[in-house]
Amino acid sequence: MRALVVEDDPVVGPDLAKALGEAGFVVDLSRDGEDASYRGEVEDYAVVILDLGLPRLDGLSVLRRWRKDGRAFPVLILSARGDWTEKVEGIEAGADDYLAKPFQMGELLARARGLVRRAAGRTSPVIQAGRLALDTRRMSATLDGAPLKLSPLEFRLLDCLAHNPGRAVSAGELAEQLYGVADTADANAIEALVTRLRRKVGAEVIETRRGFGYLLTGVTA
Amino acid sequence: MKGVSLRWRLIAGGMLAILAALAVSWLAMTWLFERHIVRRETAELTRVGQAVVAGLRLGPDGTPSVEARLADPRLMKAAGGLYWQVTAPAGSQRSVSLWDQALAASKVDGDDWHARLADGPFDDRVLLVERMVRPDKHGPPVLVQAASDAKALSEARGAFGRDLALFLAGLWVVLSAAAALQVTLGLSPLARVREDLSRLRKSPAARMSDDHPREIAPLAQAINALAEAREGDVARARRRAGDLAHSLKTPLAALSAQSRRAREAGAAEAADGLDAAIAAVAAALEAELARARAAAARESAFSATTAPLRVAERLVAVLERTADGERLMFDVEIPENLEVPASQDAVTEMLGALIENAARFARRQVRISGEAGLLVVEDDGPGMDEGRAEAALARGARLDEAGPGHGLGLAIVRDLAEASGATLRMDRSALGGLRASIAWPQASPL
Repeated sequence: MRALVVEDDPVVGPDLAKALGEAGFVVDLSRDGEDASYRGEVEDYAVVILDLGLPRLDGLSVLRRWRKDGRAFPVLILSARGDWTEKVEGIEAGADDYLAKPFQMGELLARARGLVRRAAGRTSPVIQAGRLALDTRRMSATLDGAPLKLSPLEFRLLDCLAHNPGRAVSAGELAEQLYGVADTADANAIEALVTRLRRKVGAEVIETRRGFGYLLTGVTA
Repeated sequence: MKGVSLRWRLIAGGMLAILAALAVSWLAMTWLFERHIVRRETAELTRVGQAVVAGLRLGPDGTPSVEARLADPRLMKAAGGLYWQVTAPAGSQRSVSLWDQALAASKVDGDDWHARLADGPFDDRVLLVERMVRPDKHGPPVLVQAASDAKALSEARGAFGRDLALFLAGLWVVLSAAAALQVTLGLSPLARVREDLSRLRKSPAARMSDDHPREIAPLAQAINALAEAREGDVARARRRAGDLAHSLKTPLAALSAQSRRAREAGAAEAADGLDAAIAAVAAALEAELARARAAAARESAFSATTAPLRVAERLVAVLERTADGERLMFDVEIPENLEVPASQDAVTEMLGALIENAARFARRQVRISGEAGLLVVEDDGPGMDEGRAEAALARGARLDEAGPGHGLGLAIVRDLAEASGATLRMDRSALGGLRASIAWPQASPL
C-alpha cells in the first residue's frame, strides 16, 4: 500500500512518513505543491496526506487539479487553520477528511486507515440497479444517467438495497446496516430517510412491500 | 472646561453686532433729527428777526423802536418762549415776553443771520438768531436778536429718541431672531456629521455619507480616509495575529513529533510534559484565533448579511463525511431567502461548531432550521442538562479556560454570536436532545 505525504515542514514531514511507514505503508514524501501534483498524476496511492500551506502551489489547488483529472484516491487534508470556512473549501475541493494542526499521530493514523478501508471495500466500483447506477468509490449515484445529490447515509441505504436485488429489506435490517446497533424506534428514522430519498430519486424507484420492507424497482436477482 | 456651543457663540455675536449697529444708527438719526429741527427753528426765528428789522426805527436820539406786526401770542406773554430784542448803543427794545429780562448781547460780524444756543431769560437755554443791521446809512449799528426756548427742541429730540429707541429695539429682536434662524439652518449639517460620527464609532466599517454641504464634504472625506486607514491597520494587525497563530501550529506539530520520538526513546515523563505544554499552547492559539474571528464579526456586524441556507448546506456536506455525521440524517429547514445580519465567516463558524456538536451527540437526526432573526440547531441525542449548558456558556468564562472539546466550541459560538449582536441559548429540543439557538434582536419597524 502506497501513501503520499505532502508536507514542507522539515520535522513534521519525515515524522509523518516514519509513522505511516511503521503502520505498513510505503511512503513517498513530497515537499512542494508542484512535485506533489506530478506524483499524484503518475502514481496510484492508497491514501494521500496533504498539507494546505505548501510552497510553489497551495494544497487546495493541488487537490483540485487531481480531482479534475479524475484522480480518485482518498485525500486527508492537514491544515494550520482549522476554521469551518477552510474545512468547507477543502471538502468541496474533493478532500475526504480533514485534520487540524497540531494533531495526535494516533488520530491521523486511525483516519488514514479508515479512508483506505472505505476505498478498498469497493471491489466493483459501479453497481447498476435498474435505472440507478451507484459509483461506490466516489459515493455518487446517477438516475438514468443524470447525477443525484445524495448524502453518504442516503447513498448507503441505496447501496444496501442494490445489494439485495428483488428482495424486500426490512426497516430493522436497514437500520442495522446503517447504524450498526439499532432498536425498534429506528424504523421511524429509516422511514423518514426513505421519504427523503424518494423526493430526490422519484417515488417509484423505491417500492414499499407492506409488512416486509423496501426494494428497488426494476431490479431482479 | 466645556466649550460654549458654536451656535450660541454665533447667535450671541450676531446679536451684539446688530445691537452695536442699531445703537450707532440711533445716535446718527437723533443727531440728524436735531439738526433738522434746529434748522427749521432757525428759519422761523430768522423770519421773526426779519419782521423786527422791517419795523425797526431809530429815534433822533438813537434809541430804537419797533413797530412790527408780530401776531405770535407767545410774544405777548411773559416768558412765552419766543422773544426778540433790538440793541443800539443808545438803548434797546424788547418783546413783551421778555418782561424784565434781556437777551445777552454779543458781538456779531458780517451782515447775515447767525444762530447759536445761549443762556436765555428765565434761566432757560434758548436758540438765538442775531444780526447787526444799520437802519440809517450813517447811524450806529443795531443788534437784532430773536430767540425761542430751547426746551421745546430738546423735548422734541427726546421724544424722537425714545420712539426711535423703541422701534430699533423691536428691530433688534426681529434681526436677532433672523440671525438665530440663519445660524441654526447653517449649522444643521453639523448635526448630521455628529450622527455619522456616532455610527462610525459603533462600527469601524461604517463611513460618513457623501452628501454633505461643500464646506463639510472635505472634512467627511478626510474622516473617511482616516477610518479606512484605521480599518486597514486593524485588519492588518488582526491578520498578523492570525498569521502568527497559524504559523505556530506547524512548529507545534513538529514539537509533537519530537515528543513522540522522546517517548519512543524511553523518556515517557519528558514526553508527557511536552504533550501537556503543546496542548496548552494549542488551546491558547485556538482561543486567540477565535477572538480574532469574533473581532472580525463585530466589525462587519452592522453591514454584512448572510443567507444561512447555503452555509448550512455546505457545512452539512462536510459533516456528512465525518465519523459522527455519516450515520445521521441532516434536515436543513431554512427558507431560501432568509438572511441574518452577520458576516458569512461568523455564520459559518457558529453553525459549523453547533452542527458538529449536535452531530457528536445525535442518535439519528440533526435538524437545522431558521426564521427571521433566528437560527436553530437541534439533535435527538441525550441533551445537555441545564447546569452544564449554563456552565459552558457562563458569562466571563474565557475561551482558553473552557478547556478542550466541545466546551471550547460552544464558547466560540457564544463569543461570535455576541460579536454579531446575537445571543446563544441552549434548551431542550422537541427531538429529545439539545436545542441551540442563535437569536438576533428583531429590528423594530421604523
